Amino acid sequence: MTEKKAIRILAYESSCDETSTSVVKNGTEIESLIVATQIKSHQRFGGVVPEVASRHHIEVVSQITKEALAEANCSWHDIDAIAVTYGPGLVGALLIGVSAAKAAAMATDLPLIGVDHIMGHIMAAQLTAPITYPALALQVSGGHTEIVLLHDPVHFEIIGDTRDDAAGEAYDKIGRVLGVNYPAGKTIDAWAHQGHDTFHFPRAMMHEDDYDFSFSGLKSAFINTCHHADQIHETLNKLDLAASFQAAVIDVLSDKTMRAIKAYQPNTFIMGGGVAANLGLRECMANEIAKLPAKEQPRVILPPLKLCGDNAAMIGAAAYNLYQAGQFADLTLNADPSLELPYAESMLN
Amino acid sequence: MKILSVSTATNHLSVALNQAEQVLAEVNEQDERNHSEHLAPVIAAMLVKKQLKLKDLDRFAVAIGPGSYTGLRIGVTTVKMFASILNIPVVGISTLAALAANVPAPNTLVLALIDARNTNYFAGAYLAGKSLIPDGHYPLEQLVNQVQALCMKHGYELTLVGSGLTAASVAFKAAGCAFQLGAKESNYPHAGVIGRLAINAKPVDPDMLLPNYLRRTQAEVDWHHQTGQDYQPDSNYVEEV
Repeated sequence: MTEKKAIRILAYESSCDETSTSVVKNGTEIESLIVATQIKSHQRFGGVVPEVASRHHIEVVSQITKEALAEANCSWHDIDAIAVTYGPGLVGALLIGVSAAKAAAMATDLPLIGVDHIMGHIMAAQLTAPITYPALALQVSGGHTEIVLLHDPVHFEIIGDTRDDAAGEAYDKIGRVLGVNYPAGKTIDAWAHQGHDTFHFPRAMMHEDDYDFSFSGLKSAFINTCHHADQIHETLNKLDLAASFQAAVIDVLSDKTMRAIKAYQPNTFIMGGGVAANLGLRECMANEIAKLPAKEQPRVILPPLKLCGDNAAMIGAAAYNLYQAGQFADLTLNADPSLELPYAESMLN
Repeated sequence: MKILSVSTATNHLSVALNQAEQVLAEVNEQDERNHSEHLAPVIAAMLVKKQLKLKDLDRFAVAIGPGSYTGLRIGVTTVKMFASILNIPVVGISTLAALAANVPAPNTLVLALIDARNTNYFAGAYLAGKSLIPDGHYPLEQLVNQVQALCMKHGYELTLVGSGLTAASVAFKAAGCAFQLGAKESNYPHAGVIGRLAINAKPVDPDMLLPNYLRRTQAEVDWHHQTGQDYQPDSNYVEEV
């Protein structure tokens, strides 16, 4: 039997405030991962400024291409395809990765693969453990809060979505009220573990018969509580505020997700996106799934924390599946800032 | 010397192949506003037509600014990746120098303008390729004064090229400063001209090839004014983790 040739993909990710390159072997093994983060820059402004982000991306993109190859002990001859996030994200930021990947594909005569950023986040799981399909993913980040059904490695469908703010966005907004600099998730998570749910903020849409989320009501309730306390010169316990906010977010996320798991009976459950690094959410989901009867329990894949944030390795993992499915891009590939995975039919009414 | 040159600095896309001074091929697209989609295919088609590969080239050149920030980054990223991967020298050419070089008249001061809105311009004045008013971001009034003084002192003719020419013309007329407008074609950067300017330009490390925006972002300017903190090199803000 001849050994199957390994497929190595060099991947780019530049959709927001991280410029990243990675060499991924066979969609599962990270041979190198370079992440250049701009957090320090955007902290000056309290959030990501798109033009500043784009300027930083172009400063590092060629350098980190060389670094990804060097760290993987590869030359271009060892690479089989070039992959890039082409959306969703900040258009100017996406364009650096897309332009760089297209130029690299031209210069090396390698095939090009365009990857949906959300598909990438979910496929961080593939770098952690094998996925058996159908699988269900809770994708939570600063820009997205979605429940996604994975029929196979390349056919995904959104079955639940946020009606307003993304969960991560709500964290950053209430973080601002508490004086926590962006990105606020990690600090709020840590505080939440030290405090108690004493404020009992509303859990929106918990009892509605769908898989959708809403976080703007929670955010408003939180901000109103803080403003009211300010007006009567009362000091609220920040740890309890954080704990109460996080409890409400996690209740809603876990309730809807568990409902979807029971309905769709997936073989694998995946969490992806920056908020998937939230320890409270990880603990809660693991506990809830463990409560299911043994034969109804999907295998749970929670990617390691470093693969929850934006990174090119997850793009390389998703690109491998597209490579195997023969889904390549041509040189007209453009950034699509509002790219969306397809919605399930139940979502289209 | 075979040179591939690119401009995505304005709403006009231009790609050219030069053999030294001679322009072998030039493609220009006006007002497509779709540089990201078009640039790579235009380059690829030109290379096929001329039976060349990227690796056969001796030099890459790109308009590095000023111009549309997003547009500049498309061209600069593309060219810097070519140069970095293929180990071929790369040069950045001022968009304003390229515009001025569209008017090759001696003793004529060419004021290259890119409309930056609110009666401000990215501008530079050139005499036979030599920069007399450095590329910068100027209020129109200041430009008129400086240019008029130069022309009066040295007896230069004046030609305006680029964008935002209607408002500029009104201001120069009001100041009593005689000028000509360049031919329509000279109001866009031409990659063939960039290729010619590239012959004598000094190659740079592709990693260091960056757009010359000529302006900080508004967010940084506001931050600087609000906090009183000094600007730091951009590299201080990006960390590998």
